[in-house]
Formats: sequence, structure tokens, C-alpha cells
Amino acid sequence: MDVQTKVIEIVANVCMTDVSNVTLESTIGDFPEWDSMGHLAILQQVEESLEINFDPEEMMDLEDVNDIVKAAEAKI
Amino acid sequence: MIIEQIIYKHAVETPEKTAVIVGAETVSYAKLWTKICQAASYFEKQDLAEGSRIILSANKEIKFLYSYFGAHMAGLVCVPIDSDTNIVRFQRIMDCSDPVMIVGSLKNRGDYQVIDFDEVTSEISSERKFPSEEEIADLLFTTGTTGLPKGIGLSFKNQWVAANQINIFVGNTADDIELLALPISHSFGLGRIRCVLQKGGTLVFVPGFASMKKFFGELERCKCTGFGMVPASWAYISKMSGDRIGQFSSQLKYIEIGSAAMPIIEKERLMSLLPNTRISMHYGLTEASRSTFISFHDNKNKLNTVGRSSPGVVVKIFDEYGQIIENGIEGEICVKGDHVCSCYWGQSKEDFAKDFYMDYFRTGDYGTIDEDGFISLKSRIKELINVGGKKVSPIEVEEVLNKLEGIKESACIGVYDPVYGEVVKAFVVGTLTPDDNERIKKSMMSLMESHKVPVYIEHILEIPKTHNGKIQRLLLQNM
Repeated sequence: MDVQTKVIEIVANVCMTDVSNVTLESTIGDFPEWDSMGHLAILQQVEESLEINFDPEEMMDLEDVNDIVKAAEAKI
Repeated sequence: MIIEQIIYKHAVETPEKTAVIVGAETVSYAKLWTKICQAASYFEKQDLAEGSRIILSANKEIKFLYSYFGAHMAGLVCVPIDSDTNIVRFQRIMDCSDPVMIVGSLKNRGDYQVIDFDEVTSEISSERKFPSEEEIADLLFTTGTTGLPKGIGLSFKNQWVAANQINIFVGNTADDIELLALPISHSFGLGRIRCVLQKGGTLVFVPGFASMKKFFGELERCKCTGFGMVPASWAYISKMSGDRIGQFSSQLKYIEIGSAAMPIIEKERLMSLLPNTRISMHYGLTEASRSTFISFHDNKNKLNTVGRSSPGVVVKIFDEYGQIIENGIEGEICVKGDHVCSCYWGQSKEDFAKDFYMDYFRTGDYGTIDEDGFISLKSRIKELINVGGKKVSPIEVEEVLNKLEGIKESACIGVYDPVYGEVVKAFVVGTLTPDDNERIKKSMMSLMESHKVPVYIEHILEIPKTHNGKIQRLLLQNM
């Protein structure tokens, strides 16, 4: 499974929505569940499933699906 | 005096002063007051009886403020709720408050008619009359110990006094510009609105803490001098942005932190990053907002306490017979002051009186007071789980768990989490195994808010109970 598909699947799972509702532009606040707690859950699950670690300095810039995909891809 | 009167006063004396900033929109005190009056006129034209309840979805949009204060001016009682309130809780709030109108945008509205905030405006029709101090302004629904929402009645006086006490301790002035990222469907966030408006300061709304870019962006753009947060917010800010908050040390005059467990090491870290900021932490509950306060920098050797009585508040420790006990001995924390709520909605005066020892409100929390008046929390009778500042009744979660196939009974507790403070852990009895845990969580996700879904599930043979059948949650904590 590629990084983009995996990230979208994680976002859909945390936000309790279908993967078809999640796009690369989906961002914090687009779904009620994507609040601070949801955002942390998304980042933690991405880190765990792709076996990577985001630094605090870069985490602040991860706001939408595209940001997360790009940052994750750069670490693999 | 009531909050609406002071907003009117600011509108007259400093009409051009900015009251609220939401993104690109800036609202002066003069405009805020006009919009409040227009909303009040709309409600008056609906011919609603004084004291009727209206439910408002408490989103951080400026139109919420117009409807909220406008409804007060029209003699209505506001019931602010989160726009994501689940349908079961929403129905219970409907049943209890019996509202005449629902305004805003709700995710789960059932078949009820909901009026958009945009509709709540009308030509100003009459001379405004302010409600009296003793009238009920708001019903705030909290998570009761039984899992049923409980409507706490706060009068205009309760709210005014609480705001005044907080402002005295925190030191707010008219020059303050506050970044409001807290939810405003709860006592803390709504209270911050009243505190800032009481002083004639400026509020800057952001949706929440989730977007650190927006949080720091608005902090910088609007030159904010303070904000409120809960310990879980700090854990999030810290994880997502490292030490960045320290860059604002000369700008941030104050931070108010809500009551929840916060490790001393985190308090000290915040102090070292913001050496000149007045960092205050309160202890309180919706019924008795901010009953105690501690200023971290001023009380470095008392950081393990929740501070001393707030200005104008008396806190005493009572024994089980309703007698005040001496310093150092553990008992129930009880609070006296004009900020204490006026009623539980739908409850008789006699039943409400049972929540008091003399004129001291019983918080349901246990603790001690030391010789300097500092209060230490020992345990909470109410057993609510505090997930990132959101209160979760274990009973509400257990009710849902017990309806799942394969679960005979369950019991939930809060367990420590480095980010959220606490998360839910469920103990279940039945025919399921750990292999079913993900399925259980998925089923729960569709039935309740995600923060209420157990993070940990343990399968045990029997739930420990007293001989009266009451779950022994303390035993579960040690399992």
C-alpha cells in the first residue's frame, strides 16, 4: 500500500468517515473528529504504521493530508 | 450589574474599541451591541414567554455571541451545547430543558427544526430593558455521575461574580487581547468570554488548538496578551511545537489553565519558557466556577496543590456529618460564594439543598487544606474521566458497551495518558476475547464521541462490586 493510500485510510478511520470523503486537501477541522485529539491520533497512527517519527519542528506544519503524505514520503 | 449591561457601557464609552476578532472580521463594541439588540428584537417578535429556554449551538462564530446575549436581553434562558453533541445526549437535553427554539448548526438534530444564526436579526423595536441579576441566564449541561446530562442553572449574578473574581486573580484589564481556542459550550470557555468583555478587552476566536499554525499565527497577528487552556492543550502545544511558545514570553501577560492533573515537571517547563507571564491554574466545577486559584510563579513550592480560595470565595473541608474539620484532615471540599450555581434544572429546592452543608456547596471532591490555606485534591467522588478536558461519565460508556453482543457487563475507569491526561479503559465480562477489541472500538465509534471510546479494553472474569452491587472502581485502578 502506498503512503498516500495509507494516510487517507488512517484519516478516514480517525474521522469515522468513508475514504471517498478524504482528499489530499482534507485538513484540520474538515471533520468534527479532526480536532486536536484527532490530529494527534492521525499523526501517531501514521508514525506507527509507517515506522517513522516526525520531529516537533515539522509537526506544526502538518495540517492537511498532502502535508502528512509529503512529510511521510520524505522519511521512507 | 450583569454582563450585558457592561457591554452596553463599553459600546457607549468606547464604541470603536474592538470587542471580537474572527479571522478577517473585526467587531467593535458598538457593532456588538447593535447586533445583540437586533437579535433580542428577533426573539421578542417570536412572542416567547420570559424564562423560556433556547438551545444554541456554541460555535466560535461571532453570530453565536449576538444570539446568546440577544436571547438574554429578550428574557430567555440560554442552553449552549456543542454542535457535535450526540443524538442521545441531545435528546436528553431536549427532554430536560424543554426548549422553545433551537438556534445554530447541529450535527445531530434529529427531526427538530433548527433556526440558522443568520435568521436571528430584526429591526430594533423597543427600548432595551436589562434582565435582573437573580434571573437564570444559562443552563449548562454537564456529564452527571449517572451518565445523564444535568442542567446547572447559573444566574446573571453568578456569572458576573465569577467573572469578577477571575479577573481580580488573573489581572485582566481593558488592554488585554485574548486568544480563545477553548470550546465555548463549556463553563471555562464561556467564562473567558465574560471575563474579557467585562473588562472591555478584545477576544480573538480560533476554532481550537488543533491547528498550531493558526494558533501561533493569530497570537502573532493580533498581538494577543493571553489565553486559556487545559493541561491537555499544553501537552498538545508542547508536542506539536516544542518550545515555540517561549518566543512569546514578552508578549504573553497571562495564561489561565483549567483544572485537571498536570505533572509538576510540565508546570515548571511552562514557567521556564514564560518567566514573566502570570500563569494561573484554577480548580472548580461548572456549579462553582474557579473556586480556587494558584499562580505558578508566586507559589513555586505549592505546585502540587490547586491553590487557595479565589477572591470572594470561602473554601472549607467538611466531614461526612457536615461539620467543618481542621486543617490537614481529609474531607469533602465545600465552597461558599455568590458564584455558586442557583439550581439544578428540574430539581426541587429541597433536593438542591442536599448539595449543601449549610451555605457551602458540596463539590463531591475530597481534599485537605494546609496551614497556608492551600488546597490539595485527593480524590474525586464523582469518578468522571477527564479526557483532554472533556468529561466522560464511565456509566455512559458502560451503558453502550453492555449493549454490544458478547458483553455481559463492563466497568470503565480513567487511566493516565501523557497527552490527554486520562483516557478510558474498559473492563469487560462476557464471551469476547482480546481479538475482538478492534471490533468493539469500531462499534463504539458509531455510537458515541471518539474521546469516549475506550483506548484500552481488558477482559476479566468478574467486575469487582460492593455487597450493594456498586462497582469498585478503585480496585479496578489497581488491577
